[in-house]
Amino acid sequence: MNVKHFPIWGAGSGFALLIILLTVFGSPLSIDHQWSLLQGTQAPESFDDFSFLFGHLPRIAMALIVGATLGLVGSLMQQLTQNPLTSPLTLGSSSGAWLALIIMNVWFAQYVNDYGDLAAMMGAMLAFGLILAIVGLNNMTGLPIVVAGMVVNLLLGAIATGIILLNEQFAQNIFMWGAGDLAQNGWDTFTSLVPQLLIGLPILFFAPRALSLLRLGKEGASARGLSVLPTFFVLMTTGIWLASAIVSSIGVIGFIGLIAPNIARAMGARTARQELVFSMILGAGLLFATDRMAFWLTQYTNDVVTSGVTAALIGAPALVWFSRRQLKAQDNLAFILPTGGRSLSFKALSGIGVSVVTILLLNTFADFSSGSFEWHWLSDYQWQIRQPRLLTAVAAGASLAIAGVLLQRLIYNPLASPDILGVSAGATLALVSTTVLFANATLSNNWLVAALGSIAVLLVLIALARKHQFAPSTLILTGIALTALLDAVIQFCLAKGTQDSYRILLWLAGSTYRVTNAQSLALLASSLLLLSFALISSRWLTLLSVGRAFALARGVPLNLASLIILTLVALLCATTTATMGPIAFIGLIAPHLAIMLGARSTRSQILCAAILGATLLLWADWLGQSLLYPAQIAAGTLVSILGGLYFIALLVIGRFKKP
Amino acid sequence: MSLNLPRLMLLTLSLFASSTSLADITIHDSEGEKTFSKVPERVVVLNWDLIEQVLELDVTPLGGPNIEGYNTWVAQPHASEQVADIGTRAEPNLEKVAALKPDVIIAASPQKDLLDSFSEIAPVVLLENYQGDYDAGEQAIANFRTLAKLFKKEALAEAKLEQLHSDLASLKQQLEQSFGQELPSVLPARFGSETTVFLYTENSSSDWVLKQLGLKNALPLSPTLWGTKQMRIDQLKDLTDAYFLYILPFNEEAKLKKSFLWQAMPFVRAKHYNSVAPVWSFGGAMSLRYTAEAYTKSLLEIAQ
Repeated sequence: MNVKHFPIWGAGSGFALLIILLTVFGSPLSIDHQWSLLQGTQAPESFDDFSFLFGHLPRIAMALIVGATLGLVGSLMQQLTQNPLTSPLTLGSSSGAWLALIIMNVWFAQYVNDYGDLAAMMGAMLAFGLILAIVGLNNMTGLPIVVAGMVVNLLLGAIATGIILLNEQFAQNIFMWGAGDLAQNGWDTFTSLVPQLLIGLPILFFAPRALSLLRLGKEGASARGLSVLPTFFVLMTTGIWLASAIVSSIGVIGFIGLIAPNIARAMGARTARQELVFSMILGAGLLFATDRMAFWLTQYTNDVVTSGVTAALIGAPALVWFSRRQLKAQDNLAFILPTGGRSLSFKALSGIGVSVVTILLLNTFADFSSGSFEWHWLSDYQWQIRQPRLLTAVAAGASLAIAGVLLQRLIYNPLASPDILGVSAGATLALVSTTVLFANATLSNNWLVAALGSIAVLLVLIALARKHQFAPSTLILTGIALTALLDAVIQFCLAKGTQDSYRILLWLAGSTYRVTNAQSLALLASSLLLLSFALISSRWLTLLSVGRAFALARGVPLNLASLIILTLVALLCATTTATMGPIAFIGLIAPHLAIMLGARSTRSQILCAAILGATLLLWADWLGQSLLYPAQIAAGTLVSILGGLYFIALLVIGRFKKP
Repeated sequence: MSLNLPRLMLLTLSLFASSTSLADITIHDSEGEKTFSKVPERVVVLNWDLIEQVLELDVTPLGGPNIEGYNTWVAQPHASEQVADIGTRAEPNLEKVAALKPDVIIAASPQKDLLDSFSEIAPVVLLENYQGDYDAGEQAIANFRTLAKLFKKEALAEAKLEQLHSDLASLKQQLEQSFGQELPSVLPARFGSETTVFLYTENSSSDWVLKQLGLKNALPLSPTLWGTKQMRIDQLKDLTDAYFLYILPFNEEAKLKKSFLWQAMPFVRAKHYNSVAPVWSFGGAMSLRYTAEAYTKSLLEIAQ
């Protein structure tokens, strides 16, 4: 044994010992009794006997095999894409399966029993297919695929949330599945899953050679006789197949496939084979440990805690920790912003003008309440209902757009936006956690909690990003970790199956419905105040956009300026999120649109993006109220769907523009 | 707005008339005392349990939330096409409600934070169904009586309640004929998955029904806000003398029944279990009877 690899083998045998110990002491039966039950010298009699043989043991077997497979798949995907952030989680498999199952339960309930697994599997494969279509087979390495995965996750997740909210009764029986539950009732699931996973074994034998060659780069690999594309396609599809089989049979368990390979590398796995094997061992150990934790938490808290939740609780910080060193500043982004004119053209201005006027007219005159579309002056009461919603949409849209401009300029990255970087997720997570922990806390309007959440995320971001010159992959990492953690917490709340779960989901959809007049005025005031601060800081931003050294030479206090601008971003996100819930994509899209329309200078980009963001959210809010009248779709849900589609289009365009 | 003099006089007169009128209706809802000068005729209801209650009183509301869902899940009594859809229960459409020009709006706990907005359309009666440690069964009956008073249907309501109690008594009698004077302890539940169940706590309407039927709850649980508590099925392993009833629909029923864990449950070994026809557990006073009937039918099937 190579001494260099001792830590891995040491950890491996440590894990094995731990697994045996925890298995033995996880059951109320004595060791002798367990042994004789296993040997078959004693037939099971009491419930505890049966529970040991058909609940305890299959659960452990399940944790081990699922963990091992997830670790293997994660390592395979990360080596294939040469990207430490690839995994089933980031390639859309869970969100695709989740949406497919929601659709099955709401509209095809009679087929759920027979075809539920198949639907989940199809959903996972389709989500991956979508991602593949966005980035293209040639562009699977590097950052684009991770970004595309994140966008697809957001898009599918938003659609699923929208469907659940409109059909709350129907979706209830899959919430346990969504929470990733490893508890077993007999060996059936295990024995049906194992044959599906056997396909993974050949990976261990055949993949290492191809993976080693791929490390030389595409050209190097094909020069040595590897047909890169077919190999890549076959291996990737196998990985997705394995991940989909797991998702469809036990539900959403994130992070294991993402962190196991990262830990393996951090512990010294060098060759392709080593990484695959160690990731497998680590994956099994990790899922086993987190599942035991879920088991104990269930015992002690008397609430049902699922493995998906504990895996995310441990996985999110572990991901940030273990992958922080390997991230390099390199990223070959296929992300090309369509460039616009040099200055705001008359055409652009009139386009914005028409859009603004139209939506304002619709908000002021359109009326569906009599059963058909009518066009008249609104009653006082209608106006009283619409005004806070209107003001909130304007203020929130503008705030998020400004936050996006500030971040993108500060970090030199067109992908930096409050949602992709996890700043909004930080605020959301803080609010949801306080609600879950303190049963009576209300979700909305807790600006302080929200601000603390987003500031915490920004501090982590700064700490991580400084070393890497704000490399996008480092930044997106936090976003992925937080968003996935948030998802797990949400699934945990949903699995509890009370009305409170719907409350949380409702709030997460990002709706203006419950915003009061006073709240909307407060948000408007704060957004105007923060807008003026943003405009004041625009000189700094302009100088910073040129380069840090340049800015320093011109007398910009670099650290202070960064701190002030990031605080502005945190406050913009926190006030918005606390008022109407999380809103995705505005912070990403509005700054892009502003540039495309020709708003090049910092100051004009801030103002133009603010107007665009406000208009975008106004449209989303109005459409959400009108499409399914009298039922309503939250503005946040619509924005996610529209924004997701826009973003996918942008990525696809970028792909074809690339030579 | 300008008021002309005759109109002002008329208003004063009508106010005077109503405050002294013997026809005044005074009710106590979850917020306190409320007075109506006449029986409301244009009614909008914001929650499903209250649609059920109002329909049972032979009042057809102008509007209610997600009527299609109501007719699927609550089902009885059926809401006709006359009841307009006003959106979802969590976000009823305020403009739509206003357009229906109601003279009373009846709301429940899920709409509690929206009362300010609704009370500008019409007087709101808030009848909370789940709140702290309310006894959901008693609360449903109290709400039924409050609504009866509001709509001047007290006689009808009392007749229906009397019928409810005599129905419950006869169901109890049927149980006693099969099980003897000492009725068994029972655990009604709803499966969340093959490995989790939702049990009903002491303040749930399910527990109220058990008490009325003279049955003991085999696993009494302290009150929770919504009257349910999620548990692992392992925790049912000590129910040696209990009868276990699980409420349908449950997708994985066949799979569960095949499992060894299920077969090792003491109540399964003793064949003391059965399924229960689907019942809506968050309903009004009259749906308590449906629950009682479903439980009794299921238990009698076991006894045979």
